[in-house]
Amino acid sequence: MSLRDDFQPKWKLLLKWGWLSFAVFILMAPTFYTVYISFNELGFGAKYYNFTFQWYENVFSDKQLIGALGWTMLLAIITLPIVIPFGLLSAKLYKQSNQKVWIVFILLSPLFVPADILASALLVFFKNLNKFFTLIGEYTGIYSLDTWFDLGIMTAVIGLIVYTLPYVFVVIMITMARYRNEQTEAARDLGASAWRAFWEIEFPQIRAGVFSACAFVVILTFNEYTRTSLLKGGFDTFTSVLISQMLNTGMSEESYAMASIVSLVAVVIVSAILIVTAIKTEELEKKTRIVKEPNK
Amino acid sequence: MIIFFVLPLLLTVVWSVFERTMFWMEPAFTLFSYENFFFSSRLENFLSSMFHSSISVVCAFFIGFPIAIFIRRRVKQVAQHRVMLLFILPFMVSEIIRIFALRPILSRNGVVNSFLMDMNLIDSPFSIFVFTPTGVVIGEIVSFLPFMIFSTFLALEAIPNYIFEVCADLGVNRRRMFKDIFLPLAAPGLFAGSVFIFVNGIGIALIPTILGGPGSVNAGLIATQAIIALDFPLAMAVSAIMMFTLMGLLYLGHRLFNLTKLLEPIS
Repeated sequence: MSLRDDFQPKWKLLLKWGWLSFAVFILMAPTFYTVYISFNELGFGAKYYNFTFQWYENVFSDKQLIGALGWTMLLAIITLPIVIPFGLLSAKLYKQSNQKVWIVFILLSPLFVPADILASALLVFFKNLNKFFTLIGEYTGIYSLDTWFDLGIMTAVIGLIVYTLPYVFVVIMITMARYRNEQTEAARDLGASAWRAFWEIEFPQIRAGVFSACAFVVILTFNEYTRTSLLKGGFDTFTSVLISQMLNTGMSEESYAMASIVSLVAVVIVSAILIVTAIKTEELEKKTRIVKEPNK
Repeated sequence: MIIFFVLPLLLTVVWSVFERTMFWMEPAFTLFSYENFFFSSRLENFLSSMFHSSISVVCAFFIGFPIAIFIRRRVKQVAQHRVMLLFILPFMVSEIIRIFALRPILSRNGVVNSFLMDMNLIDSPFSIFVFTPTGVVIGEIVSFLPFMIFSTFLALEAIPNYIFEVCADLGVNRRRMFKDIFLPLAAPGLFAGSVFIFVNGIGIALIPTILGGPGSVNAGLIATQAIIALDFPLAMAVSAIMMFTLMGLLYLGHRLFNLTKLLEPIS
């Protein structure tokens, strides 16, 4: 049902839409501006605008950057198969549990903890774990655990899992909300195992949410800086290269181009997900309407 | 999550009372790190970042809450989520890029000043937009506003439509509707959004580093600077203070508004 007030003057409604669009524009303005400058041959502050792809060519011929892209992709590839099943299990646990408050607290509070604070705590935690395992090694003679928590890919992945899990949980929860559990119960009554009922009945219906969560994890991995830079050890990620360039030499034209690549990829992926989801929801609503009112 | 999130945060309390050594720390019980924090200019910086975050919360409320109400009340129900998704796009662009790009936009020769001068609204460019507390507040609003809109919309979504219809039938005016319907029923969302902005405002080092200038220091920056200076107990003391601030606020919010209500529309 539409909640629009027919008696409200049209100009007031337009004014409110204007305010909303203005807010979206302001939030997106830094991104638009970055992209705009990245195509200017003369860079920021120039009086004239000469369109060019030169800065993008420079970025793609930068070996350090290509290496950093590879490392970031690797982090995303390792994080994905761990965090997605965790997210699925957490969402299912939340739906079935009577202790919802604790689950919500543990899963969503990482959203509220500032990146620098969590990263500092994890950094000291990993260093202490290493010392603990070294001590155990000295007593037991088992030294294989000594270097497990040295700063590197594993610690960076753990940081990313803690960071991305709340997002995965919420996205999957939203899609799971539409799923009726009676379907799983019916499948189980007909003799399907719990796994088969999940894989053949529930998963196809929440697939869109799971794929969206995967896209979010990749985007968040590429966007994340603070946790990864403190926990990654020796290698460079996309954002750490970007930040070191920005802080050391200021925003160069290549920095604008790099930032634009990351932003545009994220915006395109998210927009594609949103459009596909909107089309599918529309189709589903149309089908429901046809079933409910076949003569209309 | 218990091992790699709850435990490290809880252990910050233990590590914060350890004694600092040359490159690390050793088990002891000393409150030196807390003294170092509370009896120095760090406390002043922390309180001032709290003040700036509070301003950001108020601004985000005045900008974001009307938008959430508008989407809930005036947009067709089938389109509400789609309009909300518009606010996901900026959230998906790296915060670092958004914050960094604000520098050239707000600087003396940036887009905003150029626009205002071209329109003959000002004679000389403003220099208060960057490297000042105003810059920090602008950065916080641009970074965190979507969260205020999401959380308040989520709370408003739980209000059944018939309440609006009953109010319309009874001729309830807008002011009363705002005071007696929107404000109390959106309270969990408003609280969650405010806590998010407040805590991240005092905890994310990047915004004061890039937009705040030399005097702008918050808890996140104190912690990262302490780690760079190898003063791990101080970094942990700051983390523990932040953790207690956050937990205290979340507990208070849960007692007052039952924050789990926020997840009802999606569970």
